[in-house]
Amino acid sequence: MWKSTALVSFLVLLLAPKSAMAADEVTYRLKWLINMSTVGDVLAQSQGFFKSEQLAVTLKPGGPERDAIRELELGYAHFGVASADQVIKAVAKGAPVVVIAQLFQINPLQWIYFEDNFTLNGASDLIGKRIGITFGKNDEYIMKALLNQSGIALDQVRLFSVRLDYTPFFHRQVDLWPVYANTQGIEIGNSLEKAGERIGFLHPVRFGVNFVANSVVTSMKRLADDPELVRRFSSALLKGWRAACDPGFRDKAIAAVQRYDRDTDRDTLKVQLQETQRLVSPQGLKHIGDIDIAAWRQTEQIMLTYGQINRPVGIEKYLIVP
Amino acid sequence: MQVKCRNIAFRYPGAEKALFKELNLEFIRPGLHALFGTSGVGKSSLARIISGAVDAPAGVVADDAQPLLYAHNLERLPDWSAIGDQLSRVTPPHNRDKIERLLDLCGLNGHTGQRFSRLSLGQQNRINLVRYLVQDFQVLIFDECLANVDELRRRNILLHIKAMYPEKMFIYISHHVIEVATYCRDVWVLRDSSKLPQAVLTQGLDLFPDQQPASTRLHQVMLEIMNAA
Amino acid sequence: MLHNRIFQFLLIYTLGLLLLLAVKYIFGLSDYVIPGFWLLWRTAGDVSVRYAVDGVNTLSVAIIGQMASILLAFFIGIVGRQATWLGTIVKVAAYNVQAYPIVAIAPIIFILLGDGFLSRLFIAAMICYFPLLLSVVGIMSEPVTDIEHFYQQTGRMRWQLEVKIRAFENLSKLTTVIAGSSTLALAGTIVAEFIAANAGIGYNIRIALYQSDLAKILVALFMIGITLSIYQGLLEILGHSVRKAWTS
Repeated sequence: MWKSTALVSFLVLLLAPKSAMAADEVTYRLKWLINMSTVGDVLAQSQGFFKSEQLAVTLKPGGPERDAIRELELGYAHFGVASADQVIKAVAKGAPVVVIAQLFQINPLQWIYFEDNFTLNGASDLIGKRIGITFGKNDEYIMKALLNQSGIALDQVRLFSVRLDYTPFFHRQVDLWPVYANTQGIEIGNSLEKAGERIGFLHPVRFGVNFVANSVVTSMKRLADDPELVRRFSSALLKGWRAACDPGFRDKAIAAVQRYDRDTDRDTLKVQLQETQRLVSPQGLKHIGDIDIAAWRQTEQIMLTYGQINRPVGIEKYLIVP
Repeated sequence: MQVKCRNIAFRYPGAEKALFKELNLEFIRPGLHALFGTSGVGKSSLARIISGAVDAPAGVVADDAQPLLYAHNLERLPDWSAIGDQLSRVTPPHNRDKIERLLDLCGLNGHTGQRFSRLSLGQQNRINLVRYLVQDFQVLIFDECLANVDELRRRNILLHIKAMYPEKMFIYISHHVIEVATYCRDVWVLRDSSKLPQAVLTQGLDLFPDQQPASTRLHQVMLEIMNAA
Repeated sequence: MLHNRIFQFLLIYTLGLLLLLAVKYIFGLSDYVIPGFWLLWRTAGDVSVRYAVDGVNTLSVAIIGQMASILLAFFIGIVGRQATWLGTIVKVAAYNVQAYPIVAIAPIIFILLGDGFLSRLFIAAMICYFPLLLSVVGIMSEPVTDIEHFYQQTGRMRWQLEVKIRAFENLSKLTTVIAGSSTLALAGTIVAEFIAANAGIGYNIRIALYQSDLAKILVALFMIGITLSIYQGLLEILGHSVRKAWTS
């Protein structure tokens, strides 16, 4: 009797669909709180793309005090999202980290301004302007690199230390204010446009500065020990991001984000999604997640120029391009 | 000059037992009088009631023309300056001439440069008494203010106070039966509230300097006081 | 007193650092997670002068904030000590308002006052004000009956004398509270700088956090600790001198 029971059990296990097998537990630490900038991540989760790859993923929101690279090294996370400057600094300090995908092809960090204040035709229009930057954050280095590349000395502009409070910008004490174009940029832009203001955005990439933003990272050890897990995770995640850029998934994408970001209304989320799609897939769906090596090299160079690293790290060695 | 208590009833908030029930007593003439009784019968409480430190129940009558002061042995002088300085500061100008004499009487002349905390317990009680004696008062209740003072000096102080202030009324609260019997005039013995009357008047010998008590009379007065208690 | 404070701090800091380094070397962590000794040394060489200046900047704001809060706490404490309706209202208000965490209302302060000196000062003052206030109200409301009795009996009691007696009798408690509140004032200033100011050691910590640079944070912590130890030591010496001058 027990022999036949064992045989049946064996056959059930053998013939069981993949989903019935134990999934790998994976912790994924995001860079920031869940908002439209993480739409692909939440879609991969909500649409079951991780599950299809036999992955039980715990999405952990990030924040200013969270650092995915440290968590990878300490074993608290399997994958994470980090900005390019974080990755380069970590590599410079010997952190065993690799980049497996680049989420934003265009850095969402841009500068908002009132169009009636001035017209931005070229970099020279920035001369004499009061420009907001967050000292110590990558917008400082992006702006400095932009000015440097445009041949504008730092004493030709006035740099203003920026905080989360936008009052100095609204009061026009500052001419340009750094925002994430796909989230804050939309919210502020909407409210200003409702108030009858015309606003514009300064895109650093148009001035030749392509500073890489958020990327997906894992540890070298994980890549070496379990490349299949890394492949499955990467595949499911990028499927989520492709869905995020697919018009067919629009409502699902908005609903997925809205579950976490309850303070942003649906119309704003809709616009935020469109802007996010533009930043994630400017060259079409099949390039989503592509690692832009030239942009990484430029990012490294900017960090070297502004003393954020004290020697070249050869960042391309840490970029895992399929 | 008079202090009268008529049918006083008093109970501390939360206390099970009344401290005073129909308490009647009076001090109506100058001199050194005593309030005597065993511990816990309410001598200090009565002093506080009379002086107004505790909200007085109905029935307390005191002459308001001149202040009535209440001094007790737990008082301290602030330690931020020497006792001599403090004494000068709290003495009305017309009483300054008494300072020297009182300090001498209390054996404190050589200590005026010291802080209060540096004095012995007996010295602390005496300086406290001195600062009350240089005030303008009509009635002074002094509650165990000569505790920790040697017998001879206590005698000396009590006798000289009587001599120096013949027009004032002193109510001396003490457990010292010989002292009370010897030097006080009206001795009110306060008793537990279960006993009626709660206060019994006996007469002390009220001796002055150069007078010696007859030992049998003193024993008799002491016996009366103890019996009354 | 002063050298004891500094020695205690150095001991604790060194122990903490050794523990971190032990964790780093035992688990083979990179300099990114926990900076190694040489990286720390190099970072200290690079930033210590700047951080020391910023530490003094932060401390100066904390001192002004603390002084303001001491004055305010004494003012309110003196008014609130009385068993009058005004005193009762002041006391109740003081106890209730202190229940609000200042950090939670900090953003409003920054919006109203901007992110400059005033906001830092205000937050520093507010953070150390409430514990000070509670102590001062407690001390000023508690009669020292064995001293006050004479002055009340003789009709000499004035509010100034009452305050003087109560302050004098609780001098040790007051100096301890004031010395302790310096920690809160400094913490308040650092929090303010961390949240939204554009100067001071807290601002540097924020930048270091942006840059994921733990070495800079450790150097900043050293500067904060040493500055605070010196300041507290000096306050204790001052308190001791005041006590000595008043009692000897």
